[in-house]
Amino acid sequence: MRIGASDQWGAPRAAREAHIKSMVSLISVKQLYKRYAQVTAVNGLSFDLHDGEIFAMLGPNGAGKTTTIRILMDILTADGGEVAVLGGSPRAAKKRVGYLPEERGLYQNMLVLDVLIYLAALKGWRRQAARRRALDLLERVDLADRANAKVRELSRGMQQKLQLLAALINDPDVVILDEPFQGLDPVNVESVKALLKDFRRAGKGIMLSSHQMNLVEELCDRILLVDHGQALLYGDLSAIKHEFAGHTVRLRTANGLPDALPGVRWREENNGTWTLALAANVSPQQFLADLVEHHVSVTLFETEAKPLAEIFVEVVKGEQNA
Amino acid sequence: MRNVWIIACHEYHINVRRTGFIIVTALIPAAALIAFAIMAFFSQPATQFLAKTFAGNSDKPIGVVDESGLFTPILPEFQAHFRLYQAQAAAEKAIAADRIAAALVIPQDYMANGAVRVLISDRNHLLGDTITDSKQVNAFFVSHLLRHSTPALRERAAHPAKFSSVEIGTAGGKATHVLDAMVVPYILSIFLIITIFTAAGYLLQGIAEEKENRIVEIILSSVSSTELLAGKVIGLGAVGLTQVSIWLLTVLLFSGAATMVLALNVVSATSWTTLLLALVYYVLGFTMYAVLMAATGSIGSNLKEAQQISGVFSFMAAIPYMVMGVAIANPNALGLRLLSWFPLTAPTMMLVRFPLGSVPTIDIFVSIAGLLVSIPLLLWAGARLFRLGILMYGKRPSLRAVWQMWRSAD
Repeated sequence: MRIGASDQWGAPRAAREAHIKSMVSLISVKQLYKRYAQVTAVNGLSFDLHDGEIFAMLGPNGAGKTTTIRILMDILTADGGEVAVLGGSPRAAKKRVGYLPEERGLYQNMLVLDVLIYLAALKGWRRQAARRRALDLLERVDLADRANAKVRELSRGMQQKLQLLAALINDPDVVILDEPFQGLDPVNVESVKALLKDFRRAGKGIMLSSHQMNLVEELCDRILLVDHGQALLYGDLSAIKHEFAGHTVRLRTANGLPDALPGVRWREENNGTWTLALAANVSPQQFLADLVEHHVSVTLFETEAKPLAEIFVEVVKGEQNA
Repeated sequence: MRNVWIIACHEYHINVRRTGFIIVTALIPAAALIAFAIMAFFSQPATQFLAKTFAGNSDKPIGVVDESGLFTPILPEFQAHFRLYQAQAAAEKAIAADRIAAALVIPQDYMANGAVRVLISDRNHLLGDTITDSKQVNAFFVSHLLRHSTPALRERAAHPAKFSSVEIGTAGGKATHVLDAMVVPYILSIFLIITIFTAAGYLLQGIAEEKENRIVEIILSSVSSTELLAGKVIGLGAVGLTQVSIWLLTVLLFSGAATMVLALNVVSATSWTTLLLALVYYVLGFTMYAVLMAATGSIGSNLKEAQQISGVFSFMAAIPYMVMGVAIANPNALGLRLLSWFPLTAPTMMLVRFPLGSVPTIDIFVSIAGLLVSIPLLLWAGARLFRLGILMYGKRPSLRAVWQMWRSAD
């Protein structure tokens, strides 16, 4: 929900929150704070990642996403706040977390299989077990026949997939992915999406950062929108979309529309379907009640959903203008 | 500790398989082989070889024109290699006909002045020196001059002594081999410098490549920056040691068993205390310089920048060699003692001072204590800088930025 906004969807939100409470918190961040010399990179950020969900952290460049992720991965240390990963410190959880950084690469002259085995060894895996796990993962993304090729011999898309496998090689309970779809063609995007959905089905948690809003909308259960190190939006994606969809409605009626309707800023008719923009203080429920009161026979009533990309721009621009 | 070991092994295996490593490692012994061959070629045997080659008649006898009468007749044991001629003209004719290699013209007044003329062909002018330096020719003269003595006396006069020396120490025990005692610390100090430069090259190359490859953040998600730094220092240090060891072994093999014997003699001549201290300074010195270079090298955005930034520490390691003249004159001069107490110059300075005289015990304690205290501190500070430096991509920070980065590295 918009941070500090009132709840318009009382009952559904309460149900969702009750469901969330029953979930296990894999990552818990409270009032996180990080400063670099004169710049505050993260300023009082709080959020949770639960088991069996895909959670997106969104924000413009320089919003503090990478710094937050690096703190979760114990690469950086927070200046303030509380961070718990898998119930303990980020350092203690390192072996059970998978990570795909935004700035990423691989040892170009090593064999594909050797890279995965080495990274698994650093996560505490024994060589034979790591080898079996690596071959299994390579099989799942159609790279099994390239196991003994050098990394530099792989195409860019193959290397992207291999980097994702590097994040999953230790069979983590939580995986943190910074721009996981960057540079992938549509076929590989589908392959990675399937992999992430499998991971979620297994009851594990995925936290990702991406600028590809369509994929976030398709995959994620909850989002956190950050700018200048502060949370602007946080919560269930469907609830957020409802919140931002509320002021444009489409409807059809059996007996037309009265010329004057309170709370309507403008209206437009196309093949019998009306699109109406409501005033900011009028909710769709209230408007529907008004229509019934005016004896309008409504055959179709729906709120128009805004794409996440538009919500992102609206909120970030609104914040910057403020 | 397991992670440090895994990283060290990984770094070692990656780097010893590099084409650059293999080429450079092979190049030095190849250059040594060529130098060895050249030296051998221009040494005495080479001259003889040339003489033989150009003369083409070294197995031919040497003519003798005996105007003094002292060498007539030629003793039986020399008759196969020396042939008597009555006149110089006959000997010259024989040389021109290639029947003899050269001729010795021994004049009548030989006993008064020892003068002997050597006739050689103008085709084989190198043969002159070969003949006059020849032990066989020398024996010919001695034996004929002493022809009335016993063969044993003639043999002894031709080869008067085979020397062997035995040194007696001042305390009556085994002699102190001053030069031998200097060798081990010097070798270790030079070994340290070579290893620092060699291993530092690989260390910086590895760090620069990982920065350029962007792999480092994935590694840091599994291990701490201290573990990564320690693993790299150990692994790449081992690479440097491997390379230098191969070079040293090659030198020993080329120079043969004599050098082996000399090396063993040198080690046995060095006191255990000196040997132990030299090793202590070697290990501490390498660890300190490697940590410093890795940490500062991580700030550079590429290999060239990393080398420039870390070059200051290579310079510090080399300072003691720049003041070698002072050290030879007075190994305990105040300036040198201060350099021995300063951790960044202590390892090489102490290794330079050891062989030159008695080093005060306090200098040993202060320098080792300084290194033992500063290495963990440098490792901590280095890891802190390394953690952020290695995550900075594509830009070289200013000194102010480095300071701010170091402060915010927590």
